[in-house]
Amino acid sequence: MFGMDKPKKTQQYDVKSIEEICSATWEPLYRYVYFKVQNRQEAEDITQEAYVRVLSYSHKGASRPENFIAYLKTTALNVIRDRWRKDKRRGTEVDLETINPLEAAVEDLSEESSRRILIENSLKRLGQDQRRVIELRIIKGFSVAQTAGMMDKTASAIRVLQYRALQTLANILEEND
Amino acid sequence: MKNKERKLSEYIDKLNAGQKPEQHGKPTDKSELEKLCETVRKVRSLKEPDMPAGDYPARLAASVNKGLIRNNPENNKKRIWLTGMAGVAAILVMAVMLNSILPFGGASIVHAMEEAFREVKAYHGTLEIVQTNAKGEQSLQAELEVWANKEGYYYIKGLEGWQKGIVTANNGQRKWQVRPDREEVHVFPAFPDAYRFTFELGKEIQQVKNALSAKVVGEDTVAGRKADILEISPHNGRAYRIWVDKETKLPLQKQSAMQNALQYTITYTQIDFSGSIPDEFIAYSVPYGYKEIDTNPEQLVNSVEEVREIIGFNPRPPESIPAGFDQDGIAVAPGAGLSKLYYLEQDKGDRVIVVQGRPVGEFNAAPTAVLGKADNNIAEIQSPVYEDLGILGGGALYAGITDISSIRWRQDGYEYAVVGSAPLEKLAVFVHSLTGGSFEMPSADDQTSDAPRIEVPVDLEVEQSSQKGVDAGSSPWRLDPAFVAQVFVSLEMSPGGITGEYPVGYEELEVIRNNGKDAVVEVSGDKTPIRRVYLKRLIRQDSTGIWTVIGYDPSDNE
Repeated sequence: MFGMDKPKKTQQYDVKSIEEICSATWEPLYRYVYFKVQNRQEAEDITQEAYVRVLSYSHKGASRPENFIAYLKTTALNVIRDRWRKDKRRGTEVDLETINPLEAAVEDLSEESSRRILIENSLKRLGQDQRRVIELRIIKGFSVAQTAGMMDKTASAIRVLQYRALQTLANILEEND
Repeated sequence: MKNKERKLSEYIDKLNAGQKPEQHGKPTDKSELEKLCETVRKVRSLKEPDMPAGDYPARLAASVNKGLIRNNPENNKKRIWLTGMAGVAAILVMAVMLNSILPFGGASIVHAMEEAFREVKAYHGTLEIVQTNAKGEQSLQAELEVWANKEGYYYIKGLEGWQKGIVTANNGQRKWQVRPDREEVHVFPAFPDAYRFTFELGKEIQQVKNALSAKVVGEDTVAGRKADILEISPHNGRAYRIWVDKETKLPLQKQSAMQNALQYTITYTQIDFSGSIPDEFIAYSVPYGYKEIDTNPEQLVNSVEEVREIIGFNPRPPESIPAGFDQDGIAVAPGAGLSKLYYLEQDKGDRVIVVQGRPVGEFNAAPTAVLGKADNNIAEIQSPVYEDLGILGGGALYAGITDISSIRWRQDGYEYAVVGSAPLEKLAVFVHSLTGGSFEMPSADDQTSDAPRIEVPVDLEVEQSSQKGVDAGSSPWRLDPAFVAQVFVSLEMSPGGITGEYPVGYEELEVIRNNGKDAVVEVSGDKTPIRRVYLKRLIRQDSTGIWTVIGYDPSDNE
């Protein structure tokens, strides 16, 4: 008898409403997560986990839906931190009421554009071969073999070149940080 | 050092493949490798994100729902109930408020259009087509009265412009055009319908859904109605805009990109949604005094017995009609000796025809076709149909109609083709049913054990630029692997260039393998020391992707 009741009790959430929330908000959140992790597999997983965490506690802050995306983003950042274990402490819980969505949005945009300029300028400071290997391997996404073919080098030479190019770039970025 | 270089390279490869690198799940240190991985991510952030497939919001919602259920601790029933009920209420409130506060993003508006169109059974409107030249001067090209329903039936009457007075209609049985200027009625097959009408809502929404991206770029008022403006980037072709009614969530206006100094804006100046098209509009009749010109090679019949009486054989129906489809008619093309069994997918209006006839000559697959196997014979798979060989050539024009796909093969002394506007996967279900399961459709993921003995270096930048050229309409031969192989073999024989005829004829080349991504072309005769040419679609793996030679095998005595 109890066994028969169980499935009903687990169906506590309104799937239609969850679909509506996801449809209206997934894109900015996914972009934000992707920006951090740079791969689709992880971006999809973390986006999902952020929704689960936020909606599990949504009764605390449903009165401020305009904060919702900012709250999702901050939660997603906590998920990334937890998963990558950069911070051994448990991710800080975010209080929905303390987030100013306007500030968060403005910060996102201005930060993003200044970061882009910084990276682009740093790339320009690399030597021709180093810049090309980064363009082909990372920006255009070619394989080592394809890049080797295009740059007329061996695969192992490409690996060495990209390692050094990234070392140089990391140092330039660090100088400008 | 070498290990670090390899690890960094593998990290880049993982990200390029859209996969999570193992470094992301491990405790991190402040090593140089971690710093370089972070630099890789920073550089990658210059690129647009790799966005998930169109069904992602639905998949996401389903996974989130599962996650929420899983998170409910079983051992605290009171808390489950309280949290659950509060959660349901909060989520409902959140959903309602988000819908009223947030602007629709591109993805959600596309979803909203699909949902809204699902409720539509038929519509009636006035369509205006305006041409704008480079100077901004506008001229009305046409004004049309449109009646259309979800089954694909329509009635279009020209109110203004060069089509004024002309009526074009399709009732699923036949298509016809009434020409008052000549007092003639021209009759065509109902399907495939090479030209339906412009700005057909269902087709338009489907195109937006299949596009590379759709983003909201502004708001406007069209025909007195408030609308969001969406910029659509299709997989090939230039970006265009559509205006989506804020209230009905359905497209109201479409504006093409400026091409050859001309731009077209197509607007529903008035539209309403009704249950059906009035019968009088889609009932075929020839006005008094008009001449009927029947160009339809097909004759509708009522039973397979009639088919046998006319063309001498019983058509083979699928063992079972695929789910969602109903039989929608039987026809014969007496001139070509073909039977045609029509099927209609009720929800989507997609049509599928099973064509059967007696084989003539050898079976030759179109060189651009993907090759599968049906009943242990070669199956020619085209999506869309580029060439109508064999029974595709008899009776109706299929080639060049962009949304028609086909699978053609021979079996038990007959040639069969399954042709339709449905996706290839659905046509494959019909073929499975006709062949008793003996059908193999290759996948682009199928790995080939074939590798060329001699590799040909490839410059991907050159290939990307060639792809752009082909997208813009130049060098269409790059879409045909046999033609690309012919040019390659010929240039190997005459490196200085080809003058006059190609030294190796097109008929001396046979595509022996093509899974849509990799192809192998065999060269016959003894004019060239090359026996096999290996090609790959490097830039885009669909029918619009160019083929590139990546290697070849010399003949054994070379």
